[in-house]
Amino acid sequence: MILPPGRAGRNVVRMIEVQELAKRYGAFSAVRDLSFGVRPGEVLGLVGPNGAGKTTTLRCLAGIIPMTSGRVSIAGHDLGEDPVGAKRQLAFFADEPRLFEYLTVRQHLSFVARIYGVANHEALATPLLEELELAEKADLLPGELSRGMKQKLVIACGLLHSPSVMFFDEPLTGLDPLGIRRMKDSIIRRARAGAAIVLSSHLLHLLEEVCTNVLILKKGEKVADGTLAEVSARFSNGETGVSLEEIFIRATGGSES
Amino acid sequence: MLGALLYLRLVSLRNLVVQRVQRLRQPKYLVGTVVAVAYFYFILMHRNGPMGPATAIASQAGAGAGAIAAALTCGGLCLLALVRIAFAWIAPAENPGLRFSEPEIAFLFPAPMSRRALIHFRLLSSQLAILFTSVLIAVLFNRSGYVGGNRAIRAVGWWVILSTFDLHMNGTKLTLARLRETSSHFLLWRLAAVAAVVMYVLAIFRSAAALVTAYVSGPEASQASPGALVGELVDSPVFHWLTLPFRLVLAPYFASDMKAFALAIVPALLFLALHYYWVCSSQAHFEEGSIALAEKRSAAKAAALRGESPRIGTARPKALPGPFPLAPLGPPEVAFLWKNLLSMRSSLFGRRSLMIVVMLMVWAGAALGPLLAGHARSSGSDPFSPLIVAFSLMIAIYTVLLGPQIARQDLRGDLANADILKTYPVEGWRIALGELLAPTCILSLVLWIAIVAAAAAIDPTGRIAWLTHGVRLTAGLCAASAAPVLCLIQLIVPNTAMVLFPGWYQASRTRGGGIELVGQRLIFSVVQLVFALLVTVPAAGAAILVIFSSQWILGVGPAIALATLAVVAIMASEAVVGVWWLGERFERFDLSEENR
Repeated sequence: MILPPGRAGRNVVRMIEVQELAKRYGAFSAVRDLSFGVRPGEVLGLVGPNGAGKTTTLRCLAGIIPMTSGRVSIAGHDLGEDPVGAKRQLAFFADEPRLFEYLTVRQHLSFVARIYGVANHEALATPLLEELELAEKADLLPGELSRGMKQKLVIACGLLHSPSVMFFDEPLTGLDPLGIRRMKDSIIRRARAGAAIVLSSHLLHLLEEVCTNVLILKKGEKVADGTLAEVSARFSNGETGVSLEEIFIRATGGSES
Repeated sequence: MLGALLYLRLVSLRNLVVQRVQRLRQPKYLVGTVVAVAYFYFILMHRNGPMGPATAIASQAGAGAGAIAAALTCGGLCLLALVRIAFAWIAPAENPGLRFSEPEIAFLFPAPMSRRALIHFRLLSSQLAILFTSVLIAVLFNRSGYVGGNRAIRAVGWWVILSTFDLHMNGTKLTLARLRETSSHFLLWRLAAVAAVVMYVLAIFRSAAALVTAYVSGPEASQASPGALVGELVDSPVFHWLTLPFRLVLAPYFASDMKAFALAIVPALLFLALHYYWVCSSQAHFEEGSIALAEKRSAAKAAALRGESPRIGTARPKALPGPFPLAPLGPPEVAFLWKNLLSMRSSLFGRRSLMIVVMLMVWAGAALGPLLAGHARSSGSDPFSPLIVAFSLMIAIYTVLLGPQIARQDLRGDLANADILKTYPVEGWRIALGELLAPTCILSLVLWIAIVAAAAAIDPTGRIAWLTHGVRLTAGLCAASAAPVLCLIQLIVPNTAMVLFPGWYQASRTRGGGIELVGQRLIFSVVQLVFALLVTVPAAGAAILVIFSSQWILGVGPAIALATLAVVAIMASEAVVGVWWLGERFERFDLSEENR
């Protein structure tokens, strides 16, 4: 783990504030009574078995789907009352890179700049493309890019407006070892720069390396949350050296939801 | 080996039928099935039911016209087949291959099977589809009262046509694949093929054009019937020999009785056997081409399910410069317009689509030019003006009613990216408006061209007294100013349907999905038509009221202008409400809810 837990201090204003979030599909409750917060510089790992409600939670937090009840605040903007203000502060990165088939790398950035009103986007885009090794591919269409490159383009689009809150849904899906390393470094770098980050993943070693905090979900409900040390202490039963994998199995009862 | 392949096909077919029946438990499929069955029942009853007085009269008239209709149908089918075959040679796939699905490739290509067995599997697969199609068409479109024959003859006729065509296309692909792998002069082969096709087509058109010109300009023009012209055309030596292969294949279908059928079927079957030998004796390596084709089809199917617009042709999209410079600051709607115009240009201007347009223009010019010129000489009148007006009106009506189903570079094209759009800091109505702008611009442009053409061509001799240049100009401008709002409203309908019923919408995009999907498409079309009527009736009513009440005071031109203001105001209000509501629905749109 690279970042010290709760580095920004407990009294710093939370960039993400979630209170009693619930999402229902008819009679089925995908997420129930979920409350947590993320401060600047923190990386919260959202873990849980398949169908636990991780993606639904992230999609609610990003304003993609409406929550059934509860309150979400992004950088001080209430997502329900001021969705546009909240969305200006966030970036959402889906597990599958979704790109516009007919827009080149550069055209993607121009389009996103207009949507977010980034006046000096060309000055920002150039170093961003250099950093993500996309500069030479700026005039290519997504169909001509590898999956890793597509993922990078999604990240470039998401970072163009300098978001203070970021949501990653399974960020390492489909990446090669080098891509995984770079993605992890990128997440850590953004957190160090002061962003509040929530990511969901099944890869527990990623959480150990990247996250300052963890939130375990099961059947749409919070089982545990806190710093890695706090959650470990709760489920280790006094044992030492218990791995996060073992903690996860104990917390979730060792079965799918 | 063939037994195993037949087992695979038949078991797959049985499971497909079972699955289709089981999914009728979902209302969207059940309703679609009921509508489609009702539609086909109506079609069958309408065509095969007892003759009413009108039908009887039409039938008597049709007895004389039967030969003409048959010849025209035959000519049309020949033309379609000719265009398709010409395309296969002129613009072949980069890597020609036979059509296999991805699972078939995964299981069969590594299996201990000869290449010939794979070809037979491919032909066998086609045969099941062809047999089903032949019977279905013969049942649905029975025209035995037209020129004789019966359903059995029609079914076998269709089977011969479709089987020969299938074999020919497979033979062409294999030959092209063989030429590509063995000949270093593949380009020369293609050029030779292009030259042969061009000469063939020109010979046919020259023959047809000469006859038509002679007919319309000759002294016997007034006495000769169109039937005689068609008969003469078909019997002319050049036309006869050039179309012989096509007529050989079509002859069983057009047999009027069993005797004629028996005479026609033997040469047709021999021709079919010749094609079979051609395909089976091909030694081409089609595997790589088949894999590429399967991947392409799979990607196209996935894209359709994701809601992306179908692209004409198979060319890969190419990077194009933006349609206009996009400033970083300003209304976000313009960004959506910019993006969608860019995608529209990429999807419209493929190599093959351009070739289709050019070929259609050449064909229209070659076919209609001599006919119209001859008619103009014989009658002394301008035949182009009524034709242009009629064509423009037809284009305008099609643009309003069918255009929204074709121009899909809007929310429907971005269904796959809906999650991303919803993370943007933009209100729902602005996303909806921005997404609708590109197809609105395109459809409006088409409407404007139609309006200008109609306004310029109507009444060129000035017979209508009140249609002065001023009135003509005013009416044209007024129609043009109402066109964008009308297009916008029409586009709201399918986009709303997609947001409200994403499951239906996705299902309706799936090709070959069964009778229930036919019903779903019918429902969508009817809703579009009804909505068009609902939104235009109040505006049209207001326009009529304004024109009739004010023209006596203001004159025709100003009355039309005033009516246009009323029309635009009413439709703009409807559009504002529609876009706002669509935006609201889009903000609540959750595809995952539909999939649960």
